[in-house]
Amino acid sequence: MVERTPVAVTGVHAVSALGRGAEAQLAGVLAGVPAFAPVRRFDVTGRRVGVGATAGDVGPLAEELAGAVDAACRAAGLDRTGRRGSALLLATHGGPVTDGGPEVPALAGWLADRCGLGGRTRTYTSACVSASTAVADAAALIGRGDVTRVVVAAGYLVEPDQYALFDAGRALATDGAVRPFSAGRTGLLLGDGVAAVVLEAAGRRRAEPVATVRGWGRAGDAYHPCQPDPTGRGLARAVEAALRRAGLGPADVGYVNANATGTAFSDASEAAALRGALGGYADRVPVSSTKALHGHALEASGLLELVVTVQVLRHGKLPVNAGWLGPDPACPLDVIVDAPRPAGTPYALSLNAAFGGANTALLVGAA
Amino acid sequence: MTAGEVGGPVVLARAAWPEPGDGAPPPLPGFVHSPFHPLVAAVARRCLDRRPAGTPPGEQTAVVLVSAQGDRASAEHVRAAVAGGARVGPLFFFQSVPNSVAGLVAARHGLHGPVVCLAPTGDPLAGGTAEVDLLLHDGDADEALLVLIEQAPDAPGTAVAVLLGGGTGQ
Repeated sequence: MVERTPVAVTGVHAVSALGRGAEAQLAGVLAGVPAFAPVRRFDVTGRRVGVGATAGDVGPLAEELAGAVDAACRAAGLDRTGRRGSALLLATHGGPVTDGGPEVPALAGWLADRCGLGGRTRTYTSACVSASTAVADAAALIGRGDVTRVVVAAGYLVEPDQYALFDAGRALATDGAVRPFSAGRTGLLLGDGVAAVVLEAAGRRRAEPVATVRGWGRAGDAYHPCQPDPTGRGLARAVEAALRRAGLGPADVGYVNANATGTAFSDASEAAALRGALGGYADRVPVSSTKALHGHALEASGLLELVVTVQVLRHGKLPVNAGWLGPDPACPLDVIVDAPRPAGTPYALSLNAAFGGANTALLVGAA
Repeated sequence: MTAGEVGGPVVLARAAWPEPGDGAPPPLPGFVHSPFHPLVAAVARRCLDRRPAGTPPGEQTAVVLVSAQGDRASAEHVRAAVAGGARVGPLFFFQSVPNSVAGLVAARHGLHGPVVCLAPTGDPLAGGTAEVDLLLHDGDADEALLVLIEQAPDAPGTAVAVLLGGGTGQ
């Protein structure tokens, strides 16, 4: 494995049902009030579940992505020349769009042109690890010296087709709440997520980093098309790879923003993965899944949760795991349940897992 | 190693579907409506079966699947069903993302590396090979099965698979 210096995060932006902007995400997760409400964006008559976390004022996905890229580039202090030298890695769903905007694969080119990004483009359609894989690849490209700057953008806005599919698959929480790692959890709920992050080779520009990407890992379960390996071995290998790249040990990790979706077998698999990767420290590291607050943003979840994790490290407070009813013996973790806690170390893991047994871990450091 | 290089990685085996004499790929239990998933599974198996004798399998073989729009036929079926107020079958849930069939290939053949699905923004082979090269260089994979699939309206589609190893910077 190639060792590298950390990659600087110089600009972040996100939109979710918690609000618009990175500060709104921080305020929302620290307030600890879930953003779920009856879905009014489209007709949910006949669905088993009618709840989601939809932002009130969103435009078409392509326009929201362009807005997020512009905001992240502004936050990073990128001028027109700086943008022109930036690559774009985009994470989004690959199917037909329902809002009339450009579709994959043309969307990446449209977005790059619209935002003045002149470097290479790549589009990830790897379901719920799309965005986190893009971040890992961006860091690897920078580390290898291929590029000095990458804008990673990701977007999912709750729409009728995926909603119907998740409802048909009985994946949605029937009690209208997401309860990661908790007894009595009944499933996930979808949520809007559009985010953009600027990653750069550390020290190449006078931009002030807001965080660093210290390590990353990607690994597969080789277990099942749509169920996670109950032993969590694939996710554990992703975490181990992220720690190795960062040169850190389990006890250095002060927070885990878990993938946990509120799904019974998936959350238990993730708990097993943390035990496998962190050993006895898995009992003590503070864990929460902010999906309980902003919902599951599918292809964009990894980037929305990275922005949340960056903001949490900047502020030094760890958000609660909302929806908690009580411990589940299958998830023996130190879940943050009552109130935000102070961060104990400057390092956090952001984990994601997807259909196909795809797993990622991003190890984020405070600036 | 039996073949030359495409960019950085070394080509260990290649396959296509269809090849001369092929009909439709075998049905894939659990996947419905579309030729997308059977095509991916069939070309993957054929390619892995052509691994040169004496080359042991990687311990972390990645699956990289490149397709412009994933399973377009199923997605359009779902779009029409939702727009018309019809019921959506539960099997469409997990086959709505290309990761599912990539994960099926990984599970069938014991491929424990990363699972990555891309929509090409340029030449699909070049883009997929660049992703494989990065994964090999980075060390999360020691080998990769790259599958490229093209679909056309009212046609079963074509697929190419390439087994790649030997990254450039490990």
